[in-house]
Amino acid sequence: MNKLTITVVGNDRPGILSAISGNLLKLDCNIENVSQTILQSEFAGIFIVSAPEDLALDTLHETIQGDLAGMGLHVHVKPLTKQDEPFAREDAEPFIVVTIGPDRKGLVAEIASVIAGYGVNIANLKAVFKGGNDPNKNIMAYEIEIPKSVDLQSLTDDLKTKAKKMDLDLSIQHRKIFDTINRI
Amino acid sequence: MFENHEIIATLEMLKNEHLDVRTVTLGLSLFDCISHNIFKFKTNVENKITQYARDLVMVCNQVGDKYGINVVNKRISISPVALIAAPFPPYQMVEIAKMLNEVAESVNIDFIGGFTALVEKGMAKGDLSLIEAIPEALSSTNRVCASVNVASTRAGINMDAVILMAKAIKITAELTRDRDGIGCAKLCVFSNIPQDIPFMAGAYLGPGEPDMVINVGVSGPGVVKNAIDRALAQDQKLDLGKIAELIKRTACRVTRVGELIGREVAERLDVPFGVVDLSLAPTPTVGDSVGEIFQSLGLSHIGVPGSTAALAMLNDAVKKGGAFASSHVGGLSGAFIPVSEDLNIAESVKNGHLNIEKLEAMTSVCSVGLDMVAIPGDTSFETIAGIIADEMAIGMINNKTTAVRLIPVPGKKPGDEANFGGLLGQATIIDVKNRTAGNPFILHGGRIPAPIHSLRN
Repeated sequence: MNKLTITVVGNDRPGILSAISGNLLKLDCNIENVSQTILQSEFAGIFIVSAPEDLALDTLHETIQGDLAGMGLHVHVKPLTKQDEPFAREDAEPFIVVTIGPDRKGLVAEIASVIAGYGVNIANLKAVFKGGNDPNKNIMAYEIEIPKSVDLQSLTDDLKTKAKKMDLDLSIQHRKIFDTINRI
Repeated sequence: MFENHEIIATLEMLKNEHLDVRTVTLGLSLFDCISHNIFKFKTNVENKITQYARDLVMVCNQVGDKYGINVVNKRISISPVALIAAPFPPYQMVEIAKMLNEVAESVNIDFIGGFTALVEKGMAKGDLSLIEAIPEALSSTNRVCASVNVASTRAGINMDAVILMAKAIKITAELTRDRDGIGCAKLCVFSNIPQDIPFMAGAYLGPGEPDMVINVGVSGPGVVKNAIDRALAQDQKLDLGKIAELIKRTACRVTRVGELIGREVAERLDVPFGVVDLSLAPTPTVGDSVGEIFQSLGLSHIGVPGSTAALAMLNDAVKKGGAFASSHVGGLSGAFIPVSEDLNIAESVKNGHLNIEKLEAMTSVCSVGLDMVAIPGDTSFETIAGIIADEMAIGMINNKTTAVRLIPVPGKKPGDEANFGGLLGQATIIDVKNRTAGNPFILHGGRIPAPIHSLRN
């Protein structure tokens, strides 16, 4: 069996998952992992599937795209090779960085660049809506993995310095505090 | 990734609702420091505290930073000084208190508790010596806290000790007259004192405790108040059973935070973790008040009819939430009602909604007792002893901890203001009936026998 990643992006509407999974079944493919999300009106899904050795990538792509093109969706298929093993993390601890403040261009880029500068991986990023339309209450939450070799204090100081320049209130906290308070 | 509401709830609790770790208290047994030689004793104590508490503040700050939660106070509790320093006369007990104060300063902690005697059934030489030393010890130091257990459900009330403590309170207030009798803010008289309280002024390390232990005190009245406010905003007809459930769940979350911090501090210091004490302990800050919870519950002020029932519900729900969150809940765990330390409670006293009689009634269902109550400076020691005895009786009969922390403010009359500063806050002097009268009942002395444990009605 070959492993493949299939990415599907486009306007959200009923029947997307049904069309993809139905075609994969027809092609004798097994879905191993799937993650999907909807941002405003847009659907994005990523599937890791195992496919028969003799199934050509073009056939797979055409079959899935054929059904989805009418729905305004785009499909990308990529074989998963051994070079695609997960990013090798050294011993790291999960932290959550939250910024609150006015929305502006470059907000994510500025914060992400500080994080990247320390070789820290961003595992997840989301905009959190508190309700209301106050642009000053724009909240971004970054789930990051900080290797033990990284100086936490120095990273925190640099993040806070950057945040201050952008009028953001920034906090960085170990993920466990969110687990402890919310997940009993 | 967390849901939006989980991220927002966590940030709200920590940033706007004053959820904090009120104290991480390192308990140190000092029985291995005992000596007949005062110099050797003091050196042993100083060395042990310095050795084990040297990194306490730094580690607490590091752990607090890691989780984004403020560890407000770092403290030390020690074995009862009346036991470990039993051979020494009062003037040397004072020397010991001064030495403890210096060590506390050197390791940068704000309070050290354990200038303590356990005398519910009788007083040994060391106990008498310590009690006699209390006024000078507290007035000549600012970080040493004293506590004396004068009653228990199993032993009854040691009325001779009650009288001595009433006198000690009077003298301590007089010796700190220039600061509204602040020495008394560091002195608690207890019934059924727990061995593992992390909160001051009652913290000490009981003889049944390990050589070293980390006990944590978590607070969070603002978190409870906001949870109630939010729930009632969604459904004004919420019944009290559901509100109690909400308080319980909130207390559970808060307790888990305390245990998380306590265990990590303990691990880093290589000290066993002891207990987490979830107490709704207010500070003189708006939004960090137990009194405000009463108003959220629908009472116009703490002290009006219904307050005792509300406090009973609150105290019980907090205990249940704490017990569900951790297998190691201890200390006082419940709701404190310290008058001067809570803006809202102090205001209720000032406006006449809360008097000392109602406070006493409420202490029968709260987790401690008459706490930080400023009374007129001319209150007689017999009257103070009577108040202590009444409070001890509530603890003794109900098999619970009660305590008295009274401040007879020198030169002040009912209605005057006393200011203790910082977290100790300020209070209006509360009226005390028959305050200058004698009290022959109290002066009989002796010991009120332990209560019967059956026929409980």
